Amino acid sequence: MSEAGTQGAEAAAASAPRPGTAPRPGPARRLGRALAPLLWLGPSIALIGLVVLWPVVEMVRTSLLRISSSGATLGSAGAGKYTDLFADEDFWPVVLRTLGWVAGVVVVTVLLSLALGQLLNARFPGRRVVRWAVIVPWAASVLMTSLIWRWMLDNDSGLVNRVLLDLGVLDEPVNWLAHPTQAMLWMMWVAVFVSLPFTSFVILAGLQTVPGEVYEAARVDGAGTLRTYFTITLPLLRPAVLIASIINIINVFNSFPIIWAMTGGGPGHATDTTTTFMYKLAFADQDVGMSAAMAVVNFALILVLVLLYLRASRWREETR
Amino acid sequence: MKRHLTGVIAAGLTVALGVSACGKGSSSSDGDGGGKTIKFVAAIYDDNTQGYWDQLIKDFEAKNPGYKVQLEMVDWTVMDGKVKTYVQTKQVPDVLNYNSFSDYARDGLIYKASEVVSPEVLGDFTPTFVEQAKYQGEQYALPFISSARLLFYNKDLFKKAGITDAPKTWDEVKADAQKIKGSGAIGYGLPLGPEEAQAEFYSWAMNNGGGWVDASGKWAINQQANVDTLNYLRDLTKSGLTQPNPETTDRKKVFNQFAQGRIGMAIGGPFTRAGFIDKVNKDLQYGIAPLPSKSGSEHNTLGVMDVLAAFKKDGGKNKEAVKKFLDFYYQKENTAKFLKLENFLPVTKSAGDALSADPYFKQFVDALPASKFAPTTNPAWTAVAGAVKQDLGSAVAGQEPKKVLDKIQQTAEKSG
Repeated sequence: MSEAGTQGAEAAAASAPRPGTAPRPGPARRLGRALAPLLWLGPSIALIGLVVLWPVVEMVRTSLLRISSSGATLGSAGAGKYTDLFADEDFWPVVLRTLGWVAGVVVVTVLLSLALGQLLNARFPGRRVVRWAVIVPWAASVLMTSLIWRWMLDNDSGLVNRVLLDLGVLDEPVNWLAHPTQAMLWMMWVAVFVSLPFTSFVILAGLQTVPGEVYEAARVDGAGTLRTYFTITLPLLRPAVLIASIINIINVFNSFPIIWAMTGGGPGHATDTTTTFMYKLAFADQDVGMSAAMAVVNFALILVLVLLYLRASRWREETR
Repeated sequence: MKRHLTGVIAAGLTVALGVSACGKGSSSSDGDGGGKTIKFVAAIYDDNTQGYWDQLIKDFEAKNPGYKVQLEMVDWTVMDGKVKTYVQTKQVPDVLNYNSFSDYARDGLIYKASEVVSPEVLGDFTPTFVEQAKYQGEQYALPFISSARLLFYNKDLFKKAGITDAPKTWDEVKADAQKIKGSGAIGYGLPLGPEEAQAEFYSWAMNNGGGWVDASGKWAINQQANVDTLNYLRDLTKSGLTQPNPETTDRKKVFNQFAQGRIGMAIGGPFTRAGFIDKVNKDLQYGIAPLPSKSGSEHNTLGVMDVLAAFKKDGGKNKEAVKKFLDFYYQKENTAKFLKLENFLPVTKSAGDALSADPYFKQFVDALPASKFAPTTNPAWTAVAGAVKQDLGSAVAGQEPKKVLDKIQQTAEKSG
């Protein structure tokens, strides 16, 4: 805030006519002054250009090329890779599955995190330990977590089948990851599991910004626990939930390791999302151009999804 | 507070999208002017591979002062992506150890074999493998290692089920699997998962007169013999004679269960003994037999060959160093040492005798003349194999075999 303030003042000083001073500053000096902010903005603009914009440009450019299976560029493909992609019989099922995957994981994550955040915010003995425990899935590598779950779900030596068999829930071992629907549900569970720490801590941070007086006032007015939660806590948590959901949407959309490690998108393409599909296009089907086209579509999908979400949540009211 | 939120959202979006967008990395390489330093990208076969190359390069550099070899070890799972990146960013290695070469030959990226090894080395390669190293009639690749597949069977399980001999025909395989199932084990281990579905399928299809291409070299993946093969494997699966869900099973799992004595039969290679069986149970009683065929009269085996390829660089300046290095590797004692260490079969006449001394290996060496190869000399093969790996397994699960093969055929025709 303070930087913005001084910048504003500086800009005002530069543009305001100064009656008392003569002679007026020369054009070179005025240009220098106009360019001065670049000194501060330059590095970040360069960084954004290099790290964000350039890869995007490369990605779009690659999607318009014909690239040989050896990796050599053979020339332009025009929009051909896009028409190939849209005509692929696996494309639409994959996109729809991805949307379901994102919606499912994000909704469940946020709901569970609201509860977890509340728990972590409450005072109870051992709170510190619980807070640390919630961070653990975050600290563990996603790939390791996924691999561990894959082996736990193994039909032959997996822990999950063992436990369910011993409890008498199952009569014979189930090959969880070989059946698309079950596999998808288990992977969504793992995705929720690894997204929980970040989300619940964002919500915890949000909870801690709610001033105690508000609750006191509510208590004086005789509001019950539920009513307090839905009319005070939840509305005040909106900014935190908004941020948590958007970052989760993007992360879950692009989540590669969970699916890759657990089912590899198989059997066939039955558990592929756009990210694993993209990988297979490049390395199994040997079509780098089509894979890049898929990446561009993925990019556009995320942008649209986030914008729709912001719109639905009336983001502007939040930031006015 | 509110303005902060905008900032945070903008920053979050930027970071998240930016990170997801930059999937393409590049690696650095150094160019030396003299062409005496070469880069060798080798595949990791197992834990011993790197030690072998380190030693070989040390010996090479000691005998050829001034020449240097930079070794880069790459895992098989990422090799394809690595090589594509090298070519895209024009940072190709001088020598590459891989399982395909024809698309590099087609795109004019690699030397002909005669340019990078001495005539003696060239003449030492076994003719079967030279055929597999050609693109449009010219030899480009240098055969590196080979492998073959045979049927492994558990003698104890066979005895328990009352079977005396290894099955020769498909009907016998099914009958034996039934008996083994009856005695409480898995009849046949069928790995049709995305790892190596093409190898398992071809091992069966070739013994039914099927294959990837017809006599004229055109793709014939949905030919009747292949459909019949897939129907047979589907029938084994549906009758419960295989392990559950072949479409998601990789070789590793099948071999491990075979080594544990829980699978009656499985198709394995020379590497199966050291790589799987000895690690789990050195005393496992198993036998090795030719791959069963539909008719029982002819028994083909699947041949596999990996190659070395030498990339053109700096207008041919690297040729001399590459040739020195390759000739050094192809000395008999060096190649034989590698094959023994890694449990592979020879591709040169001189190393062949060294391996035939071991009766286990002799069976595979003897099977080599009857081996059939995947059409790796066709540049489109990698894409076809990719499609097979992804989709073939579904034919023993939910999909119709004919439909699955039709789809792969389409992919193949599209790829060339």
